[in-house]
Amino acid sequence: MDAFSMGLIAAMGALATVAGASEDIESDIGSQSNPNSQVQLAAQVGNPHRIYNKAISGEPPANALWAATAAMVAYTLITAFQMPALLALVAGASVAALFNGVFSISSYFGRNSSQARFNQWVYMDIVRYTTPSIMAHAWITAFCIATISYIMVYMLPTPHPFPMPIIALIWGLAVGAIGSSVGDIHYGGEREFQNRQFGCGLNTMLSGQIVRKAEAGLRNSIDNAWFCTKFGGPATGMGFGLTVFLDNWRTTIFDPVTQASLAIAMGIFFIILMVVYNNYIERSVRAKYGPYPEYKGDIAA
Amino acid sequence: MSVGGSAGGAPSAYDPKKLRMYGLVGSVVGIYLGAILNSALDTTVFSFIGAIAAIFAVVMGANAVRRVCAYGIGTGVPSIGMLALGMGIIAVMFGLSMAETLGSVLLGPIIILIYAGVFGYIIGVIANKVIKFNIPVMEEGNADLSMAGALAILGWSFAISGTLGYVDILNNVLMTGYIAIIFIAGGLAILHPFNANLGPDEKQDRTLVNAIMVSALAMIATGIAAIATQGLASGLLQLVIGFALWFYFFKMYYRLVKRDAAAVVGTGLLPPAVQ
Repeated sequence: MDAFSMGLIAAMGALATVAGASEDIESDIGSQSNPNSQVQLAAQVGNPHRIYNKAISGEPPANALWAATAAMVAYTLITAFQMPALLALVAGASVAALFNGVFSISSYFGRNSSQARFNQWVYMDIVRYTTPSIMAHAWITAFCIATISYIMVYMLPTPHPFPMPIIALIWGLAVGAIGSSVGDIHYGGEREFQNRQFGCGLNTMLSGQIVRKAEAGLRNSIDNAWFCTKFGGPATGMGFGLTVFLDNWRTTIFDPVTQASLAIAMGIFFIILMVVYNNYIERSVRAKYGPYPEYKGDIAA
Repeated sequence: MSVGGSAGGAPSAYDPKKLRMYGLVGSVVGIYLGAILNSALDTTVFSFIGAIAAIFAVVMGANAVRRVCAYGIGTGVPSIGMLALGMGIIAVMFGLSMAETLGSVLLGPIIILIYAGVFGYIIGVIANKVIKFNIPVMEEGNADLSMAGALAILGWSFAISGTLGYVDILNNVLMTGYIAIIFIAGGLAILHPFNANLGPDEKQDRTLVNAIMVSALAMIATGIAAIATQGLASGLLQLVIGFALWFYFFKMYYRLVKRDAAAVVGTGLLPPAVQ
């Protein structure tokens, strides 16, 4: 271990934090994965809306595609044209963002026109101003993840044996999985049902009864980005940043070849620590907010 | 479950048997055509035919996803697309190494096809009998998906490496990591069409046009990869053809969206609800 590789690990952690945050906000602007089922259901229970419906598989495969595309283009430019790494990574992330735009638009078109019988319209203004902000966030995610894989393959003292696109694919899957389990709950549970009492859970009766009107005018997906930036995005960033940082930290502190058992033991220690801490949070939240009371009519303001 | 589309089999204008024939024949003939032209003329310019051949396989796979998932597998659409490519990659590696062992590279696609069909059918039987999905078209659908995934991976691998040799594909596609983009772009090409068009008013032609559009996008990606493995000329040719196909079919897709949607409006307030 030396100061240089520790600096690289810190940079990777920082990049991963940004990637996690932008990934979550990107999926929230498009209502991907977890919150998507309610957006999809809304029109079917008689609530047509103006919210973006970006159904590109789950988040893990979709983000794996953006990250792998960025890394693939960057790898090609670096090996075939000896382009400077930073420029190559920027070019790769741009291609990934364009791919993202095509997938986003095609799923917004497709999902909404498959709900013709519920009179869900296709709004072109939504496509025109929401898609670029989705693409912009996908650009940030793809750039950060491709850069992480570049550092792992070309810059660390013990380089990773896998080729760069494969590492980007795996980190893309990871950031998608973390984003869909950490950040999306904030949008799906708190934003789509913000007119219900906090913590009430989703009664079957409420399925599809999402909030369609905003503080001013009709709700659109840009409003959701503003909301999710306050908690869901940073929480996801912290989750993914810690994953990348702690995982690489233990293999940098302990040599993965000669001190493999120590590195594995450190990993197990982190897992136990996380389980204990999560258990503590869960208990303290339950103690503070208690079981949800039975419904006794609307509470007067 | 309404979210997963209408239950009990999706209505279709194109017969799945016909689509399967077109898909299998189109992709196998395309891969052979590309491989023979490349080796006969000692060039890599015809590698793009492999990527076009993969489009045939993807259309067949997307139709199989549509048939299986119309039984209400809402969130399972992405999983089944990944499953298709997972089955496919095993078949491709097995078939190519068998063909290399037998001494004839051109046997590869046939071995892959047979292996993928049998393998997919067995997975389908396990899904229905052991895991108890009880979906009538599961066995057939999984065999289709496995063959589609295998031929799509083979087509795109050929498009990147330029030959069907096991060692060449190992060096150009697996060791460089380009398999990552083939795997994920191919998987999305198979699963995205039905996933993106999910809903009670999903139409088969719109879904399949989406499949062609997404696989043309994957062809752009393999074109970029081919620049590194085969040189600028063949890579750019593949990229430009991919872009042209994507552009044409994206416009066609938009036309079909305008045909099927309740309304395509520039802007507007909430539409009246129809119950």
